Amino acid sequence: MNSHFTRRDVLATAAAGAALARCGKAPRRFPVSNVSIVKAPGYSMDVYDTVYRMIAGHGLNVRGRRIVLKPNLVEYDANTTINTHPMIVHAVYEAFRKLGAGDVRIAEGPGHRRGTLDLADAAGYFSTISQFENAFTDLNTDAVAKRAIRNPVSKLSSLYLPHTVLDCDLLVSIAKMKTHHWAGATLSMKNLFGLVPGAVYGWPKNVLHWAGIPETIVDLHHLFPKQFAIVDGIVGMEGNGPIQGTPKPAGVLVSGRDPAAVDATCCRIMGIDPKKIEYLRIARGEENLGENAARQVGESIRAVRTDFQLIEEWKAIRLAA
Amino acid sequence: MTDWAARQNSDGGWAYSRGCSWAEPTAFVLLAQSAGSPDRASFLNGGKFFASLARQDGGWSPQPGVGESTWVTALAALLPEDLISEQQRRRAIGWLKDKSGRDSSWLYRLRRRLDGDKEELPEGWPWFPGASAWVIPTSLGILAFERALRRGASDRGELEDRIVQGKRFLLARQCADGGWNYGSIHVLGRDGDSYPETTGIALLALNGVPQSAPLQRAKAAARRHFSECRTSEGIAWLRMGMAAQAETLTPAADPVCRTNMDAALMTLAAASRNPLLA
Repeated sequence: MNSHFTRRDVLATAAAGAALARCGKAPRRFPVSNVSIVKAPGYSMDVYDTVYRMIAGHGLNVRGRRIVLKPNLVEYDANTTINTHPMIVHAVYEAFRKLGAGDVRIAEGPGHRRGTLDLADAAGYFSTISQFENAFTDLNTDAVAKRAIRNPVSKLSSLYLPHTVLDCDLLVSIAKMKTHHWAGATLSMKNLFGLVPGAVYGWPKNVLHWAGIPETIVDLHHLFPKQFAIVDGIVGMEGNGPIQGTPKPAGVLVSGRDPAAVDATCCRIMGIDPKKIEYLRIARGEENLGENAARQVGESIRAVRTDFQLIEEWKAIRLAA
Repeated sequence: MTDWAARQNSDGGWAYSRGCSWAEPTAFVLLAQSAGSPDRASFLNGGKFFASLARQDGGWSPQPGVGESTWVTALAALLPEDLISEQQRRRAIGWLKDKSGRDSSWLYRLRRRLDGDKEELPEGWPWFPGASAWVIPTSLGILAFERALRRGASDRGELEDRIVQGKRFLLARQCADGGWNYGSIHVLGRDGDSYPETTGIALLALNGVPQSAPLQRAKAAARRHFSECRTSEGIAWLRMGMAAQAETLTPAADPVCRTNMDAALMTLAAASRNPLLA
């Protein structure tokens, strides 16, 4: 590929840049993408077929591709629902294999607990996913490479990131539908915090907090343009999430190629105004977070809306009925 | 007995579990080897790998691909004498002396004062420069400085002051249940729960602290965690932490060792000459 620029190219680029700068205040429009909402009443064997049909419905071309599945694995507490349910992760794993993916890996780097395999075992991943250890990469301790963040919105200019995710063809964020005491809601975009390697930045990945939580969520989102998002809202978490909240059955799975659109849809399902979630506002701008910003496939938001309880500090994000 | 040479990468280091070598598992395997009769060639190759991670600023990088010095610098100061030169060790201690949590910077303290928060924030160590101090890097920093003092470091006053500060930091971050988690005792006013591994490492770093009600609560939390814990990491750190408090914990059964770190920690916890214990 010839990558030389002529003087004319440079001048044309500068003129285009100046023109863009002049109209810098015009809201950016994002293409309307499909977001599927599927009812799933529980973690039963039916979920495998439901998940397969949901993913297949998006027409992803994954044949021969390297797919990384990133669940939300944080801590284990038998009394609540912190993590993406192992059956959902397994169903997604089997679905991508059935769709012809060349390699499917499950990968996660928890932010608090250092024994990732012990945590995965406690959370039921070993007993649900056969040969789990062979299919899994601990992103906290994977080999890393430094990546510059182009046009960062946070205070970071670069991040060390694991090769497993840098080298994949499609990153699939499989988040849990939860409220979050710092971000309002944690869904597929916030789930990307688990990509940042603990062996470099520590447990917790506090560098991200100092650089701005909403801003680093957006920077991480931009670093991985090839994504697919799935949110496990069969039983989510309300109240003081993402760890100390209480289980909230919402009976729903949400997915799509555009993580911001998926997360905005999840917010509406949870009774949260997506325009009041700062990382969504930064990533999209308020004008792209309306109900029509995504094309709903399957159930309507109204049919599945289940208001999640919000702690006092976050009452103001409640979506009007 | 673990065959460390069989698990060793060709560059001389060890992976956490599998894959590339990192400073931390390499340091803990070397410590575990030094607690017994090491395979000398494996031991020295491991030392060479670890030494290759030393950086110009005196600190240590966690992995060859990372161009920054981080918390693993404390591990350099804990390694046996025959692996790290005296000059490298002094520079590592110097690097650690310059680092503390961002939340103990004068700017942050001033901002808190202006917000009406007068609580004292003792100095601990961060995982990564520019971030807050947390329980594990602070515990390792204390152990590294105590080791430097035992080796006769010349800057005693400075090191002793940071050790005192570090221990005060740990006591300030004790969870309501008596143990420690990564270092967040409250989240929006709610109590955080402690973990076995962080409770163990904090108790190890709090060696020599006079008996007190907080220490009694910590030991009770450690015993409670030990009776329920099934992970190698948790059991090993709890055993080491309580050994530093002159109490022996014996596991009912050997837990599964899934990683090199697990195996190294379990070896250290069972060793009669554990180099992490004074």
